[in-house]
Amino acid sequence: MEEREVSLHRGLIGAQPEPAANGQRVNRQASREGGFSTGWLIAPSVAWMLLFLVIPLISIFVFSFWTSTGYGLEPGFNLQNYGDYFVSKGFFDPESRRFLSPSVFIKTLGTTFRFTFEVMLLCLLIGYPIAYFLAMRVKSFKWQMALFLLCMVPFWTSYLIRAVAWLPMLGRRGLLNSMLLALDIIDKPTRVLLYSEFGYTTALVQIYIVLCVGPIFFSLAKIDADIIEAAKDMGATAFQIFREIIFPLSLPGVAIGMIFIFVMLMGEFATAVVVYGGKTSTVGTVILNYYAIANYPFAAVNAIMLMLAMMAGVIIILRLVNIRKEL
Amino acid sequence: MADKVKIEGVTKSGVSRRQFMGTTAKAVAAGTVVAGFPYISTGNEPLRTIGLGVSIINDIQAQASKDLGFEVRGQALGYGAMFGKMLNQNDQYDIAEGYYNDFDVFIPAKVWHPTDTKRVKEWDSISDLSKTGRLTPDSNPGDGDAPFRKLWINESGDLVDGPSRYVSAVPTWHNADTLGYNPEETGGKLESWASLFDDKFRGRVALLNVPQIGVMDAAMGAEAGGLIKFKDKGDMTRQEIDVLIDFLIQKKRDGHFRAFWETFGQSVNLMVSGEVAVESMWSPAVTAIRSEGVPCIYADLKEGYRGWHGGLSISNKVSGKRLDQAYEYINWWLDGWAGAFVARQGYYMSQTDNVKKHLSPEEWDYWYMGKPAAKELMDPFGNPLVPKGEVRDGGSYWDRFKKIAVWNSLMKENDYLVKRWTEFLTA
Repeated sequence: MEEREVSLHRGLIGAQPEPAANGQRVNRQASREGGFSTGWLIAPSVAWMLLFLVIPLISIFVFSFWTSTGYGLEPGFNLQNYGDYFVSKGFFDPESRRFLSPSVFIKTLGTTFRFTFEVMLLCLLIGYPIAYFLAMRVKSFKWQMALFLLCMVPFWTSYLIRAVAWLPMLGRRGLLNSMLLALDIIDKPTRVLLYSEFGYTTALVQIYIVLCVGPIFFSLAKIDADIIEAAKDMGATAFQIFREIIFPLSLPGVAIGMIFIFVMLMGEFATAVVVYGGKTSTVGTVILNYYAIANYPFAAVNAIMLMLAMMAGVIIILRLVNIRKEL
Repeated sequence: MADKVKIEGVTKSGVSRRQFMGTTAKAVAAGTVVAGFPYISTGNEPLRTIGLGVSIINDIQAQASKDLGFEVRGQALGYGAMFGKMLNQNDQYDIAEGYYNDFDVFIPAKVWHPTDTKRVKEWDSISDLSKTGRLTPDSNPGDGDAPFRKLWINESGDLVDGPSRYVSAVPTWHNADTLGYNPEETGGKLESWASLFDDKFRGRVALLNVPQIGVMDAAMGAEAGGLIKFKDKGDMTRQEIDVLIDFLIQKKRDGHFRAFWETFGQSVNLMVSGEVAVESMWSPAVTAIRSEGVPCIYADLKEGYRGWHGGLSISNKVSGKRLDQAYEYINWWLDGWAGAFVARQGYYMSQTDNVKKHLSPEEWDYWYMGKPAAKELMDPFGNPLVPKGEVRDGGSYWDRFKKIAVWNSLMKENDYLVKRWTEFLTA
């Protein structure tokens, strides 16, 4: 028993508490100590969620069936909004001789999805090595913490400033263009850096990457060093160790990070305005546009579709990695 | 509030004063919301007014409070928030500082009290621009939601062909917008709205990303370029919208547009940083760009200007003593002090005689008469703004406002427009 104590890995997160030998007894002890029952303990958060999440969600759903008269709302059950959302020009478009051309809203949702996946992939490709380096290569706890905080520094400024800061970097007279000009790589300022897909993706990756570095770092740091030691002793190559041990054990962190980024990016609209110069629309901007002209039912339809898309995405990510089991 | 003004006075470099004012106004506004919640009626609640940052500026409402002897509390909102609040929460404000192009929504919604012109002291001296659409007899009234088309209502609040005793809003500040350009980049003077789509400027053009207004600028450009002749730019048909948007999509695919801007600051940055040569622009942006040392001209184009007009309305939840105060506030706006304040930002007032009394002769000559500044002029917060000798683009007030080609409007096909505009942005 004593030996077991010593061999417990003292990682950054610390050892997980041993599960109580007899859960029931612990429970009974807790209730005997007095205090609040479970129902009372969750009551504040349930009330909060009901008031500020469930009720608004229900009202958005109800609104989506109402009719906008331009200067007000007419209660009712109108499926027209959903029809408009899915089909743009009727069932048959005589001019282009096509059936069921997908509406601009579906296309926007598609574009939003595409950007989201691009950025998620880039964040993973860049973020994973960073997290790996922090957790596995940096041996001293002090340095680990210091470098991790360094990663977090951009998060200390406002989100908008992080986006705006890209303008002097990527602009026509920006730092990058000046550098390329000075090095004679280009002879006149290039416009592809800013207000372009390149600039947009770059900014999004920089803004959101911490959201995946964090969780991946924590799940990597939790890996018991003894397991890796054992694998080495048994002759596993570095790649085998990564493939068989480190990567599978880091998956919960990857999944959590990806969910964070996914949810944030799907609802994204400000960066598109600042760094992409508004040259694309996201579901967020569409909702905003319809909100601004007080067509709340149609804004609600867009919001619901966005929510469904988000739910589907999160479910897919959770299907790929069983976080509960892995943790 | 006095504290805020004092802090204001010592702020120097860094943030511009106007930006700072905006922030202060927002902070005060936020304070209003928080403080307003548990307020217990004492019969002395402040008069609550809401609008955009154009007319809701701490200094203006503070001066009104001082002159009127009761507190006027302003809340500056973003466009969407202002629109929503005016429409859906008319118990949350007493005065709406709105814009005539939204009145197709507000008039039928009956959220406002029909304003009785008999209680507006200066009613008769308010110019004909908002009453008949003609500032001078030879003026062009222009397409779209010109104030005179959305002004006259009957006692029960329905729109009527004027004149009538009741109005939807008392006309106040207004301006004429056009293209702004950097003459060094364009290599000469721009004469026509067609320049907006000139291939010479490919990749150096920005457009305002508010569908209802951006489409007007685009329509001016497309019509000047001979692409399409609109029957009424202020109320386009679906076919007209289709032709225009298809053209815009083609232009966008050709890489014609550098960016679409949404805020005043963005439009300034685009030109200051050299990203664009030509863009749709608001008048105060020109001064802001020049103050950064970048040349900028507010084009006087042969096809004319896109006008917009603000006004003061009273919520129909207001009654009794509060209603008297609301009329007092409206009368105060027409009394000249506020008109002079907004004049120093480049906006015009519906009642000019009183504004003239509150401006120095040099200011009047520069802002209203279009003459060279006889001396250095200050902005409303006392900062140097216009160097001696500078001339305002576009000539005098009367020269500009007889050439309004189209007014900001809310079209009947607005939903269709927003949808097609989204397609344009996604293309």
